[in-house]
Amino acid sequence: MRKPLIALMAASSLLLLAACGGSGDGGEPAPGEKITLKFQSLAFQKTTVAASKKIVADWNASHPDVQVEYVQGSWDSVHDQLVTQFQGGTAPDIIHDESADITGFAQQGYLADLSPYLSQATKDAVPQGVWDTVSTDGKVFAAPTLLQSYVVFGNSALLKQAGIATTGDSLSWDDLQANAKKLTANGKYGLGWGLKSPTATVLNLGMNFDAAFFEGTGRDAKAKIGDPELEVPKRIHAMAYTDKSIEPTSLTQSGSDALPGFFAGKYAMVVAGNFTAQQMVEQAPKGFAWEVLPPLKGTSEKQAANPQTLSVPAEGKHIKQSAEFIDFFMKAENLAAVGQGDWLIPTTQAARDVIQQATGGKQGWSQMLASGEQLTKAPFQSVDNYPKWKDQVATPALQEFLANKIDLATLGKKLNDGWEQANS
Amino acid sequence: MRTKPAIRSFQYVAVGLYLIFLGFPLLWLISTSLKSPREFASITPSLLPKSPQISNYTEALQEQGLIRSMANSLQISIATTILVIVVSLPVAYALARFRSRLRPITNGWILVSQVFPVILIVIPLFMILRPLHLTNTIPGVVIVYMVWSMPFALWMLQGYVAAVPRELEEAAAVDGAGRARTIVSIVMPLLRPGLIATAMFTFISAWNEFFFALVLLQDPQLKTLPLVLARFVGAEGQVQIGPLAAASVLATVPSLVFFAFLQRRLTSGLLSGAVKG
Repeated sequence: MRKPLIALMAASSLLLLAACGGSGDGGEPAPGEKITLKFQSLAFQKTTVAASKKIVADWNASHPDVQVEYVQGSWDSVHDQLVTQFQGGTAPDIIHDESADITGFAQQGYLADLSPYLSQATKDAVPQGVWDTVSTDGKVFAAPTLLQSYVVFGNSALLKQAGIATTGDSLSWDDLQANAKKLTANGKYGLGWGLKSPTATVLNLGMNFDAAFFEGTGRDAKAKIGDPELEVPKRIHAMAYTDKSIEPTSLTQSGSDALPGFFAGKYAMVVAGNFTAQQMVEQAPKGFAWEVLPPLKGTSEKQAANPQTLSVPAEGKHIKQSAEFIDFFMKAENLAAVGQGDWLIPTTQAARDVIQQATGGKQGWSQMLASGEQLTKAPFQSVDNYPKWKDQVATPALQEFLANKIDLATLGKKLNDGWEQANS
Repeated sequence: MRTKPAIRSFQYVAVGLYLIFLGFPLLWLISTSLKSPREFASITPSLLPKSPQISNYTEALQEQGLIRSMANSLQISIATTILVIVVSLPVAYALARFRSRLRPITNGWILVSQVFPVILIVIPLFMILRPLHLTNTIPGVVIVYMVWSMPFALWMLQGYVAAVPRELEEAAAVDGAGRARTIVSIVMPLLRPGLIATAMFTFISAWNEFFFALVLLQDPQLKTLPLVLARFVGAEGQVQIGPLAAASVLATVPSLVFFAFLQRRLTSGLLSGAVKG
């Protein structure tokens, strides 16, 4: 009587065993054995994936005892993955991520101090302002590799038609506004600006006007919202609702969503991350001429640097060897290859020079590389609860302001008061 | 009673419109998978690609190890489905048929287990599986998916078992059949639509699951399909639309085949007239 039921249970056990065909996670090599380091790369574009794999292959060819295994990760999920891997002690030996994302891990002690291991050449090659974004209490918890900046892309034909010159070392915000107004006519707008998620743009470009947004660091930081902090939203709002030179629907779109309107001549300029140049090259209609305008300037051309980084877990068993691979990765030719592939700005001048030489500065590279020179650490990058404030307070408040539903004073109050709640 | 031609025509039109409504996303996906990057950036997107190309498919297949990940997903989903059905069926039968104090507690636990956010349990789960060497293995993922899917599968199956009239089992008992024989010969055939529906639910849950696989699988050779699809999304909202659409089209094929296979067996009405009303 019981046989069928027992058979069912036995079958379930057998099936479970039958499914057991996967590989194990392996262990650390015994002393004297060849070391294998796992490098989890988030390279996204085909060209960058190829460049990253080539770097790994070159390293492996010249370092037979320390082999690097390339593991492909995804930007979309890296944070959650790393949270678990750090907790479980299974993080890769070399971690690719952006500095804003790993700052919390560094503060929790999950990342190794690389300062004793990185070569002097690597240390000297990166500006101090960029090192500051990956340093805390004198310890360096990552090596910064690539940067992005916000730049203005222009439709060459429309700019020329309006008699707007795009030369010079910088473009003042007043000039941007004047140009946008001049280009607004006959149902076309001067500017399209995908500001669906406006906080990063506002805070990064806010540094043009010395906007700090926060005083202090960690959980003790206090919100600081004054005129400099409200300058960028005020200017965007004025262009959208006073001058009416920003195409209104673009404000509700993401950066890439705004591109079809730009290609169709609906607006003459767009402000976007410099990496958007890659989409311009791939997606612009044949014959469409575009250019990158000089870096935006308020009181300065500064923008916040949130570099991509390479770091090593504090519990890693081969920190020295991992740091040596990072040194290798940071060599000018290597960094230039991944930067050019992703249309991002290398953190070292030597790598920028390689790209400048390889591209001849065409397709906006000269201006993009120039815009990277002023990237530096922003105060919000040292604030623990910044991500919470960004999502729960700043983004909805800025969206309301840019939709003309609240005034500037209310925006300032919301940004300021919301910090108390987000930091509680 | 015959349906009037006008009403029948209206029914056909309604069904046709409904099918178009249901099929449009798939049509749009297929169309997108055949478009060039320049067409994605058009301000007036067209329903059909102007110059269809298969480069998105070749790119998806070459660059991302799509086929291997599909095979992994298929292996995991089928193993999970079989295990869930085999283990859930006797439990569901017991819960539906036997009165005991454990029953409300078990049902309560089934409901409560559905409210835990995945992020809350993933780290403890990881810590349990690691010493057992079940992280970064397909069996580890199958076990997790099985545990994750079983409460709802139990809940579904319990309802189907309860819908089988007790009178049929009593009649079988009168004819001399024991409990096990009754389950195998009487209940199981009548439960077939319920088993198929539960299997479909379990398969889809496992096929689409992302987070557990992300955390548990690190070896590139073991990555499942949702993990590979996520690779087409980059930082700052960048998306490789063409290859992603192509990969998504390919990803729907195994589940469509699975559904086509099972759907033919998803018949209802077996119980009609089984007992005298």
